Amino acid sequence: MYALVDVHKRYGLRTVALRRLNLEIRTGEFFVLYGPAGAGKSTILNLLAGLTKPTTGDVRRNGQSIVHVPPERRDAAMAFENYALYSHLSVAENLAFPLRAAGLPKAEIETRVNRIAGVLGIPHVLHRRPGFLSGGQRQRVALGRAIIRPADIYLLDEPIGHLDAKLRHRMRAELKALAVEMKATIVFTTTSSKEALALADRIGILNAGRLEQVGTPAELYNAPANTFVASFIGDPPMSFLSVTARPDDMAAALYTADGQRIGTAPASAVGLTGLQVGIRSNAIQMVEPGAAGTLAGRVEVVEHLGHSNIAVISTGKDELQVSTEAEIRLRPGETVGLQIDPAKLHLFSGGAAFADAAPARNVA
Amino acid sequence: MARITANRLLKRYGNFQAVHGIDFDIADGEFVAILGPSGCGKSSTMRMIAGLESITEGQILFDGTPVNDVRARDRNVAMSFENYALYAPITVYENIAFPLRSAGKDQAEIDRAVRAVAEKMELTPLLGLKPGRLSSGQAQRVGLARALVRKPAVFLLDEPISHLDTRQRYRMRRFIKSIHQEFGHTMIYVTHDQEEALALADRVMVMSDGAIQQLATPPEVYSRPANAFVAGFVGEPPINFFDFSDADETGLTIEGNRVSLTDPLRARVRELGPVGLAAIRPHFMRLGAGSPVQLQGRGFITEELQDHNEIFVDIGSVRVSLIAPPGVKVARNETVTISVDPDHLLLFPADVKVKEHSDDL
Repeated sequence: MYALVDVHKRYGLRTVALRRLNLEIRTGEFFVLYGPAGAGKSTILNLLAGLTKPTTGDVRRNGQSIVHVPPERRDAAMAFENYALYSHLSVAENLAFPLRAAGLPKAEIETRVNRIAGVLGIPHVLHRRPGFLSGGQRQRVALGRAIIRPADIYLLDEPIGHLDAKLRHRMRAELKALAVEMKATIVFTTTSSKEALALADRIGILNAGRLEQVGTPAELYNAPANTFVASFIGDPPMSFLSVTARPDDMAAALYTADGQRIGTAPASAVGLTGLQVGIRSNAIQMVEPGAAGTLAGRVEVVEHLGHSNIAVISTGKDELQVSTEAEIRLRPGETVGLQIDPAKLHLFSGGAAFADAAPARNVA
Repeated sequence: MARITANRLLKRYGNFQAVHGIDFDIADGEFVAILGPSGCGKSSTMRMIAGLESITEGQILFDGTPVNDVRARDRNVAMSFENYALYAPITVYENIAFPLRSAGKDQAEIDRAVRAVAEKMELTPLLGLKPGRLSSGQAQRVGLARALVRKPAVFLLDEPISHLDTRQRYRMRRFIKSIHQEFGHTMIYVTHDQEEALALADRVMVMSDGAIQQLATPPEVYSRPANAFVAGFVGEPPINFFDFSDADETGLTIEGNRVSLTDPLRARVRELGPVGLAAIRPHFMRLGAGSPVQLQGRGFITEELQDHNEIFVDIGSVRVSLIAPPGVKVARNETVTISVDPDHLLLFPADVKVKEHSDDL
């Protein structure tokens, strides 16, 4: 197990990369760091690898500080977005390098190189030098060189970020299968919601040097701690409507700005300002405008994504993203009705999940 | 604003021909995405439209007038490239105002134009900041605002959002689309990302190997791809391909599975002959029996994406993916039956190139 304890990391005088961050990486887990560019994802990998030291705080392995252990003695295997391969060696020799260094027998090395090349879809380029590879192939070789040898922890910094969509899709499945098989401890960074959900045992959502929430994909998807997490997990992202809570025989009822009742809440929500409900696109049904109990909205833009369309619908103050079947044709400017499933609302107060929001889920 | 026409447009670099004499006609005010893998000729095409690249043969016309010999800066083309070079020492306001100042506009007009575009791009609160203080998404919006402020005839965008996180990508798409709806420019968007192309464009021009493979609306390129390349490049998750063989009136064979055919597919087989390529999108396959087109496979892995699952299954030597509701899973090496919706089974001539990944040389 690895831990960052109260880690503060500053570069120079002004740039704060991590702020009092606490994080545990459990042995054998696939941990995904997910967040916008500049959130601090790579800094965490560098701290775990020993390439940089915390300004204050501690980095521990199995409870013991490793801050002063140099990178070459940490048994961490790394793959970076900007991959450095040995240009004078073939792909096979690049892959074999860490195994030779570990003194493995030749036959064993060959077996492993062939196996990893198969997983990464590069057996046909094993004899080539890196200079004769495409960017995506080089990135896969770099990933292969990291995962080919046993290591205590694998640190993978957007290792499939430069691949085309088809390869990325395929590599995602291969990597997950391999991780399960190896029972490896992996820390993986990404800017893709889908990649995070598909790969992770647990996800840490990082924003401006702070962890917003750590949890399983299901926890983050079903119970986001705040609106940042809610809008970051899921594709398309969650939409938000401003609401007010008024007393009601169900404790409290939630009303939109134009007076439409869309759900219920605990009595303690009454009178709070800054209430928002978060709604995923699959919790919204498009219906005839004007139907009872529905919100009126105006179609702003429509995206045709092939299997489905995503419409951005304005309700006046807020905008909602709604998935529809591809056959449903909508035009910008059109008025539509929106039926929102009250059981699928997420209530937030001042940006944080409303502590007692659970009752909002089961009463219409 | 302008209509953009290409006649037998060809680009050669030394002995290498990047664009093979293509024709297209982009209507005034239309939004066209040029989509393809790296090296397909999309950037060369865009650079010829912009005037940054000479035209080897053929013509580009703006509103019917050839512009081959018109210099880039005289074409009134705005460009926004992935690396927005904002001027660091001056404010966002002055960055946006820059093209208007260079054009010698008067102060009142500049102020009006800058504030109008800033309002549209949600940049008003940032006008006083220097670029160093901006997030990458904000910097991109400033770059777009600067390009838009001088009311160009055509607006060219080159992969401006491919590196953003999921949430930012949706926001930027929303912006770009509303810019188009609001200002009505002819817009040409160059990308390798099929989702962006489909989401943004009125029509998608799919390119590969220096040629246009299809130029059609997003629903058309998705549902009626002109060839196997388009089928493979458009759609997320990617379409599944199989070689088929022994095709005749009674059916065809996919990875050892004999399947029967519907009438339209039978007609297609008569055109194609006994061997070819079958393709089916992950959304049109499901676990379980019940279709005339059934395939036997072994489970590989299940990805739980929360609102749906994506399941990978090995059918013979082919790994396929399919979309399933949450809760439906396969175990590794579990034997499974897959039903294919025959109405969405696509058949193409045998073509080895399509199975290669675009970054495989």
